[in-house]
Order: sequence, then C-alpha cells, then structure tokens
Amino acid sequence: MKRLTRGFGVVIGLVFVGVVDLGACSSERDPTPPPATRVADPSDVIDQGLMVALAQAKNFHHKAKVYMTDGNLTAATAAVRQILSLAFPRGAPEADDVRNDARALLAKLLMSQGQLDEATRTIDEGLAASQRESFFVANLYTVQGELHEARAVAFDAAGESGKAPAGDERRQAISSYDRSIQINERLQKKLLEER
Amino acid sequence: MATQDDDTLTGSVPDPDTEPAPAELAHARRFAELVDKTLSGRTPPAMSADDRALLEAATVIRATHGSVELAPSKQRQVVEDALRQAIGAPAPSRGAAVPIARARARRWVPWIVAGTSTLVAAAAVAMLWLRGPAGTGHAGPVARRAEVPPEWTSRPADSLVGPIARDHAGDASARIDAIFADRLDGFRARRLARGGKP
Repeated sequence: MKRLTRGFGVVIGLVFVGVVDLGACSSERDPTPPPATRVADPSDVIDQGLMVALAQAKNFHHKAKVYMTDGNLTAATAAVRQILSLAFPRGAPEADDVRNDARALLAKLLMSQGQLDEATRTIDEGLAASQRESFFVANLYTVQGELHEARAVAFDAAGESGKAPAGDERRQAISSYDRSIQINERLQKKLLEER
Repeated sequence: MATQDDDTLTGSVPDPDTEPAPAELAHARRFAELVDKTLSGRTPPAMSADDRALLEAATVIRATHGSVELAPSKQRQVVEDALRQAIGAPAPSRGAAVPIARARARRWVPWIVAGTSTLVAAAAVAMLWLRGPAGTGHAGPVARRAEVPPEWTSRPADSLVGPIARDHAGDASARIDAIFADRLDGFRARRLARGGKP
C-alpha cells in the first residue's frame, strides 16, 4: 500500500515537473527581451478615446494661446497644466508626445515668469516619464538648455561671485543642447531609413 | 471384445507366490513404459480405463513419496488461497492465482489511470494557458499588422512633426493642431471603411 501511494506520488510529481518544464519551454521559445522603449502596438488603432484626448489638448493649447496674447501668463500656465492631467488611452504614443510638448511650453511660461525652479522641475519630470526618444524629448532638452542659460544670466547679474556658477550653468546648457541635437540626429536617421 | 488386459482390475487376484504368466509380464512391461512416458510428459492420448486408473494410482503414490514438486505457480496459488482464507477474503476463481498485494493494487489501477489522465489534461491546459499570450503576441498582431493601415494606428508623432527648432520650442499649439488633424483623418478613414462603425 505504501509502495502504491509512493508510486502515485511519483506520477503526480512527474506530471507537475512536466508542467513546469512546459512553462519554461514556452517562455524559452519567446526569447525577445522586453523593449527598452515602448513603441506603438500596431493593433492599437485610433479610437474615439484618443481623438477626445487630442481634441481636449488642442482646446487647452488654444485657450492658453488666447491668454498669452492677452498677457495673462498665469491663466495660460493653468490652461497648459490641464493638458498634463488629460486621460489618454493606455499606451498611446501620442500621450507622451502631447504631454512632453505641453511640459516644454509650461516650462517656457514659468521661465518667463521667473519661476526657474518650477520650470526645471517640470522639465525633469517630463524627461523622467518619457518612455522613448522623440523630437518632443529633444525639445525638452532644448528648453532645459534655455533654463540653464537663464540661470547663468541670473548668476552673472550677481556680480563676481556668480561667475563660477554661471560658467557651470552654461556648460550644462551646452550639454542639454548637445543631447537635444543627438536625439534629433538619431531620430532623423531612423526616419530616413524607414522611408 | 474384452481382452485379458481389460480385466486386470476386475479379474481374480493371482496368488503372490505363483510365477507370473507371460501375459502378466508383458502387461507389466507395457504399463511401465506408459508410466515412464507419463512422467516424461508424453502421456498417450488414448488408453484403457484400467490403465488410466492404474496410472493415476501410480502418480499419486509417486507424489506421496515426495518425488514430485508443485510448479511455482501452483505453489503460489496454494499459499495465496491459504492466506486468503486466513483474512476472510472470498476465494478467487480457479483460473489464475493472483497475489493479494497485486489484487489490492489492481483496485487502484483505475484511480491511477483516471488521476494521471486528469493531470495530463491539466498540464495540457496549463501549457495552452502559458503559451497563449505568446501566441497572440506573435501571430495576432502580425496578422493584424497586415490588415491595419499605418495611418489608422495610434503611433508616435515624430514623422509628422519633425525636429523642433529652438525658435519653435513653444509652438505646441501648432503641433497639436497638426497631430489632431492627422489622427482625425486616420480615425475617419477607418470609420468609413467599417461602414460608420467606431
């Protein structure tokens, strides 16, 4: 009886080992590593949710433009901020692009109001949240360079004591512009190859 | 026609001190040959009733003297029958001797087969489940990629916008207009192709 029970246990064990092996085999058959950057899933077609989100972003941008024309930078900033909280369809690449573009504009608006720290934070958050390289990410680096330049100017205004930090800011500005240029070059090359 | 051989057992018993008749000697020799053949496994298919009775008697006498051993299967059957009686189990059929342990094991065989089949089926289902996402991740989108035009898909706007010059870093409004218009074209084209269905 004991021998029989032991045999039955062995059979169950072997079957479960087989299941685990099958699982391992199935995962081994798919050796593709997870992508470092997320690209559009071809099955993600443009749907109503995406169009609504894009239309909302478009309206907020126009609203901000009107406020800017009117000189109301605070209201324009608030309008652009609302773009960042729009709900896009999950995984839509346009969401990254639209948000990064809004962050670039928001940073410029904040910079024009003298809020350099807030502008820097806006850019940093955008860069951290980006899933892939794009012209919009390159634009964020461009605005980041402008921010460093603005800081350098501010340090220059402080006199002799601000010379060293101003130099640092200018070097960082150059670094940011370089990164922007590199991303643009890579993407242009990639787009040319795809054509 | 009755012969002298036929009434060996039914005829009168001769005096033990008398000399054997030639017929008796001949019968004794023939019977000895018959016994030898039987012991060597070459029993004649036909024989007289008296010879058969004598042969059985000779076989029993030989067995009682310990000259004959039971075949291993017969020995097992005898032991198993004895053990079975000891535990009060019903007597088995006379066809084949089945050891008690094996008989108990046989009761488990259907359960083992059923259990193993269930586990194998579960393994197959698990395999399909584990491989399901990979399968749909490969064949599905590839098939759909061929069906869905790129302009109908949600995708990065890089090719539409191009590199953003520093002077136009803040022109997000113009870019969102371009993106919206392009995606609206794709959305409408897809909707028209589907007969107005979203």
